[in-house]
Amino acid sequence: MKPLHSLERKLVLSLAKNGEGLLEDVAIKADMTLDQARRAIEWLRSKNMVEVKTTTRYIIEIAEEGKRAIEHGLPERRLVEVLKKLGKEVKLDELSKAFDSTPQEFSAAFGHARARGWIDTDNGKKTVKLTSDKISSEESLLRMFVAKKKLFLDEFKEEKRAALSELIKRPGYFTKRPVKTIFIMLTDLGRETAETVKEVKEIDNLTPELIISGRWRELKLRPFDVEAVAPTSYPGKKHPVQRFIDEVKEAFISLGFEEIVGPIIQPAFWNFDALFVPQDHPARDMQDTFYIPNIKDTKTSSLDLIENVSRTHTDGGDTGSKGWGYDWKLDESKRLVLRTHTTAVTVKYLADTRASEAKVFSVDKVFRNEKLDTKHLAELHQIEGIVMGRKVTLRDLMGVLSEFYKILGLKKVKFWPTYFPYTEPSLQSIVYVEDFGWMELCGMGIFRPEVTLPLGVKNPVLAWGGGLERLIMTRLHIEDIRELYENNLGWLRKVPLCL
Amino acid sequence: MPVIELHYDKLKALIKADVSKKEFVDKIPYLGITLEEVADEYMKVEYNPNRPDFSTSYGVARSLNGLFGFEKGAPSYSVKKGEVNLIVDESTQKVRPIVVSLVAKGLFLDDELIEEIISMQEDLHNGIGRHRRKMSIGIHNLDVITPPIRYTTVPSDFKFVPLDHEEEMNIGEILKRTDVGKEYGHILSDFNRYPILIDSLDNVLSFPPIINGELTKLTTYTSNLFIEITATDIGTAEDALAILAATLNDAGAHLESVKVSLGNSVRTTPDMSSQKMEVDIKLANDLLGLNLTEQEVSESLEKSRISVSSEDGKLIAIIPRYRVDILHLVDLVEEVAYGYGFDRLSPTLITSKNAGKPDETLSLMGSAREVMVGLGYIEVMNYNLVSKKVLHEFTNRKPRTIVKVENPKSLELELLRDILFPSLLLVLSKNIHEEYPQKIFEISKVFVKDARASTGIREVYHLATAISHSTANYTEAKSSLVSLFSQTFDLKVDTIPTFHPSFIIGRVAIVRSGKFKLGIIGEIAPVVLENFRLRNPVTVYEVDLSKILDIIERKA
Repeated sequence: MKPLHSLERKLVLSLAKNGEGLLEDVAIKADMTLDQARRAIEWLRSKNMVEVKTTTRYIIEIAEEGKRAIEHGLPERRLVEVLKKLGKEVKLDELSKAFDSTPQEFSAAFGHARARGWIDTDNGKKTVKLTSDKISSEESLLRMFVAKKKLFLDEFKEEKRAALSELIKRPGYFTKRPVKTIFIMLTDLGRETAETVKEVKEIDNLTPELIISGRWRELKLRPFDVEAVAPTSYPGKKHPVQRFIDEVKEAFISLGFEEIVGPIIQPAFWNFDALFVPQDHPARDMQDTFYIPNIKDTKTSSLDLIENVSRTHTDGGDTGSKGWGYDWKLDESKRLVLRTHTTAVTVKYLADTRASEAKVFSVDKVFRNEKLDTKHLAELHQIEGIVMGRKVTLRDLMGVLSEFYKILGLKKVKFWPTYFPYTEPSLQSIVYVEDFGWMELCGMGIFRPEVTLPLGVKNPVLAWGGGLERLIMTRLHIEDIRELYENNLGWLRKVPLCL
Repeated sequence: MPVIELHYDKLKALIKADVSKKEFVDKIPYLGITLEEVADEYMKVEYNPNRPDFSTSYGVARSLNGLFGFEKGAPSYSVKKGEVNLIVDESTQKVRPIVVSLVAKGLFLDDELIEEIISMQEDLHNGIGRHRRKMSIGIHNLDVITPPIRYTTVPSDFKFVPLDHEEEMNIGEILKRTDVGKEYGHILSDFNRYPILIDSLDNVLSFPPIINGELTKLTTYTSNLFIEITATDIGTAEDALAILAATLNDAGAHLESVKVSLGNSVRTTPDMSSQKMEVDIKLANDLLGLNLTEQEVSESLEKSRISVSSEDGKLIAIIPRYRVDILHLVDLVEEVAYGYGFDRLSPTLITSKNAGKPDETLSLMGSAREVMVGLGYIEVMNYNLVSKKVLHEFTNRKPRTIVKVENPKSLELELLRDILFPSLLLVLSKNIHEEYPQKIFEISKVFVKDARASTGIREVYHLATAISHSTANYTEAKSSLVSLFSQTFDLKVDTIPTFHPSFIIGRVAIVRSGKFKLGIIGEIAPVVLENFRLRNPVTVYEVDLSKILDIIERKA
């Protein structure tokens, strides 16, 4: 048998001694709060020691008019008292005048008094005389409510029922409402248990006082139900996306990459022009990109560099390219955008440092003017890696990306050719994700000379980039991308760290 | 990206040998085309915008023939000297200056081909034509036209029967009432004369870039086509015309040129002459990480439908006119890779000399995050873009130096936040049914207008926290704040009484360390709680992490 909690023991003993009864009474008799009794009953019920019967009873409660009647008498009684004062036989209109209330109330009181046989009329209903004044059954019913405000319907004796139904008809005398009542009984097992349980001095808590004084030797520490369910507790936690960002960063760092960061707000120059995206390219449209109105960038870059980029767009400049063949506008390049890719930061880094070699990365926010739905967000995280070196090749890029994926647990990868405006050749990587299948992940390529040469970058630059959210969705088994940033506390509290 | 359907039957008819469905499906990705859907009869594919020649099955088949090795080198196109003249009026030069043209004869037009031509036309309009602004195409039944054709301008009361209409309409009505007029009318909004193509009998061919005339509509009885392309840019017009010419040629038409004259200057179109570019074999090997011989490079290019010839010991690539994407030597390098086969490229490993490292600032943020998690807070991540309602109205804050974005697609994303805690209150308001106490924090950038920044906007990192439960109070928040400062940064912190419209008067303070103001702490005002429909008290503090890092650096 499982050890009984002290509350359980107390209740079982009380039930055996005081007998079964309503929950409220049982609690009082066992000297417990209602809440303690409820808990003990719940546990005992699961151990099959008590039985609980729930029934619906009706409570009759005295209301405003009823209370008035207790204090001042029922209207028919008051009428008879007035009649007594006036003499035992008076004219009807005199009585009505002396009763001092509305004609309706008078006629109701008159009717009730006559129905009780207290009064009668004479002379073609012109005079009224007193015939009796014995206590009515309604009055004796009212007396029951002098001490108690409410009674259960089933507590009324049969003879009181008629008076009750009479008075309940009168507005404002009584209210009647159903209540659930809980009736507690010991089962046979409960009774047996009560006999074996002794009231020994057991204690629940070991206290510093007991330890220091050594008094614990004299007491018995009550055994606990070690199988009982404990309340849930939630630790503080990083957001799952942040955890994944940190994991990706670790992957880059372990491959020898250095993190770079930069502003979210960029002049179009660094976000588009420096990357050889022509000024009429659809990606630059306000439909796709967030622009900030009324402010223009003031310190985009050196004039030489701007001139190089301008000429490259127009006719290829010194890059050996044909260019896009249009009239490049400086003003358009000064518009401010919320960066659509972190490449805006990377390419500026390459232009600023003028190093001949670099291995850098970033995992940071990018923005698209999208309507939010199950597949689209306006704010996303982009993973980006860059390798610059004298002799780096497309196959090296495939190699470094394969290594990167391997660290993230993605062992199978395929590469297909594709197109990006600022890389050539360009590849799309497709990875195999357990429980999901093949999915497109990072795009990659070698920066076009139209990008690197105007910025003074001489060596080939390998670049890859892709969205972080798609990958984490497969890990967290999320199908609606918006759920990642709903910040539902229930989810954040429960989602396990090891996924 | 544009999507087309490729029917196996049609592809099989265009491929010079027997190829199974599986072989098609396997090969398509190695053309740089993405498979969207593989059905029994067809595959749905997405092609990249740099290859408008992939807008029909003819274009895809042309490249597949090369990749499978059934045909090699550049296809050749013969254009017979035609008899149709196109006379350009000077008045068009201010409106839409460029027109080029082509005649294609002897075509067998069935519904399928008409559909494919129309779909190609739409793709070209939307892609290189930039939604008709830069370039638009009109395709007409030559047999109902009486040349010479004139490209001129007319006033807005000029009338004709537009395509798929029965009644005459004037230009003004077309712009106002038809769907295409409403969609593309803005291209002509600066002008009071409108471009028009009419024949010698004053029949209207088209009103570019809006709509064609009903008269020249294509049907399955049409076999001779007149094609005109109007544009703002000659390069784009010729690119589109070359793609159309190549496609119609492959569909069985005989091409004829059109003489386009403006005053004394005469141009004969289409110009199908190929582009020549020297191949840099070393560059190809360097970028791809291969060691190909001249022979292998030549063979690879030929598989990519580019011819090669040797001139003065140099290897010259001869690029067909419809390949509008070859701008630079590196584009030829990619063509070598296509011909060689991307599936044959294996990854190589580069070893690293240097140790990697994270950004120092972000690492320090990570330490603050660690302490907050240790204090039992759950991290939340919100958008940087928020609504005016959350940022100002609900929180009672005065809008001071806010940064807006232009035309957001959702009003929930209209302002860049300058402070984080309103977003935290929004998070709490979405979680009133979750268990209390609730303790959350966020670390993110905020955006402040600052004339000293080159973009006029400064981006700094903030950390904000919120605690909510039935007895949440200032002391609890301050205890956490002091802990954050001492445990993360070893800094003492003071809280100086202040006033803030989001907080209860007398229960709000400025967070200060030494002489630096670093943030705010307090109990949220009940009216603000009501605005967010919150039912439990909330305490908040928010500090400027970037400023704290400055102080630490100065100390060090």
